[in-house]
Amino acid sequence: MAQPSGTAPGTIRDHWIPLGIATAVAVLLVVVWSLVDALLPGTQRIHAGDEITLGGDGGYRAALTLPQDGWLLDVGSSQAGQTYRFHRGTVDLTVTSVTPVGDPLPDAKQLWAGMGDIARAGDPTARLGEPEVITTEQGVEGLTGVMRSRTEEGAAVLYPSPDGEFAVEMTLGGADATIADLEAVADVARAVTFTEEGER
Amino acid sequence: MSQAPDGSRLPDTAAGAVPAQRHSRQDAPGPQRVPAPRAPERTVLGYHLPAFTSMVVIGVLSLLGLGTLAVQLGGTVRVFFAEAALGLVFAAATLLFGFWLFRRIRPVRAPDLAASLVAVLWGLTAATGGALLANSALTGVWSKTLGLEFSAVWGAAMTAPFNEELFKLAGIVLVAVAFPRSVRGPIDGFIVGALVGLGFEVTENLIYGLNTVIQAGGVNGGEAVAQSMVVRVFLTGLGSHWAMSAVAGTAVGLLAAAGWLPSGRRALGAAALVLTAMAMHWLFDSPLPAGVVGIVVKVLIDFTIAMAVYFAARHAHRRRVRRALAREGEEVGLRRSAAVALARRRARRRALHDVPEAERAEARRVQALMVDSAEDRAFARTV
Repeated sequence: MAQPSGTAPGTIRDHWIPLGIATAVAVLLVVVWSLVDALLPGTQRIHAGDEITLGGDGGYRAALTLPQDGWLLDVGSSQAGQTYRFHRGTVDLTVTSVTPVGDPLPDAKQLWAGMGDIARAGDPTARLGEPEVITTEQGVEGLTGVMRSRTEEGAAVLYPSPDGEFAVEMTLGGADATIADLEAVADVARAVTFTEEGER
Repeated sequence: MSQAPDGSRLPDTAAGAVPAQRHSRQDAPGPQRVPAPRAPERTVLGYHLPAFTSMVVIGVLSLLGLGTLAVQLGGTVRVFFAEAALGLVFAAATLLFGFWLFRRIRPVRAPDLAASLVAVLWGLTAATGGALLANSALTGVWSKTLGLEFSAVWGAAMTAPFNEELFKLAGIVLVAVAFPRSVRGPIDGFIVGALVGLGFEVTENLIYGLNTVIQAGGVNGGEAVAQSMVVRVFLTGLGSHWAMSAVAGTAVGLLAAAGWLPSGRRALGAAALVLTAMAMHWLFDSPLPAGVVGIVVKVLIDFTIAMAVYFAARHAHRRRVRRALAREGEEVGLRRSAAVALARRRARRRALHDVPEAERAEARRVQALMVDSAEDRAFARTV
């Protein structure tokens, strides 16, 4: 007997099989990978003096050399060349490399305002204070200021690369971090270096 | 297989005698084998139960996907509202154009509107929301096991082809189950797949646009969004998600045409199509070949594969419908050429044009009925 395949061949009962498989695949993809990710150890110990390449653009590359032992790199939530998240006790350090667009490229003040907006996108209560000038140990000038939110208080730091093609942004804080904890690692804020391409 | 050594189990045909006819056991006294009557299929709101359940699953997972997107992107949209609005304008334009185009390229007639909308909805919400979570977790797994540097280069190629293609494929299957008359063959699968991929592509473009704002340091966000959208729509859009999902969707059409009980050959063909879609995605996300030329080459390869699959499915579909229309024509006394011509939209319009205006609505209705009936015949299977 010929029938339109809306109801044939086979029967409607056979439609439960693809329905079950498709639903299971959609659910399992999220559940299984999340479980595997959660079960794997996700930190990597960083020693004092280890250099981490943060990224680069134009003629420069940036690197971070953590001055203290005891930092742990959160591998699962970091992306090479873009975002690095570190923890040391109660202190959290996030270092991001950003590549501005526009002609002319935005200056440090504009990037500071943009950094404040990005912080607010992550936490609506986050605010950056008025920036002050800071210099890396290498002598590159940037901006720093207080970063406050409902849950934590810390510092934000911004270093545009010497040619302005990219910038390194850092936030140093932690919900349970005390002022003493933050002061103990404050020199991290000056540990960024810029290297001209071809110099190394 | 074992056999008696003297061949005594074989009928003796040496003298040209034909073995006596075996009597049917049905003639013998005693209980007869009668097929058990099938219970009538249960329906909810006029839908068969699997179709209704599939709609519920699509609805629930789409809501969960939308919720995931809202949580992940809500803060960025709130702060960078103008940039998000600009992204939405690009997204809406892409969506409208793609929706029109993919429904237009189905041979014979446009696909069912409800099925098309649900396919796009799945791509826009459930598939992207789910893939966002699954990709984040799997990328974390690669970073932890293979290292950050390796993951940064190869992570996308090792994650998206698997997670994203399977999420989109799941949606195509769910749409096929929810709208069984809308996905009855490879070409329907291709179109539904392209629509799911289109929805996915549009949301992904929006996510990438907003990520670009963050990567640009939150300054000149409009320019960042525009640059990202132009590249993703005009450069890579030609061979992106719609192309991959259309190829995978063709596999779903193959399986649906066999009532989800495919022969080994058909199952193998479907598997090959799904693997091809994953390979297309892998190529697209692979860091090789690099540079703008490399991207163009990859996009063209994916586009060519999708077009090859499309034209093969289109040709097969049109051939079957033409044959069915010829039979329809014979039954109602219509010239073969006139009946076969009804397989084309333009020919149908032209035929209507020649009909007096007062009779045009009725003629249009009869045309639609003939095309409906011809497609039913074209997809008819013997149970």
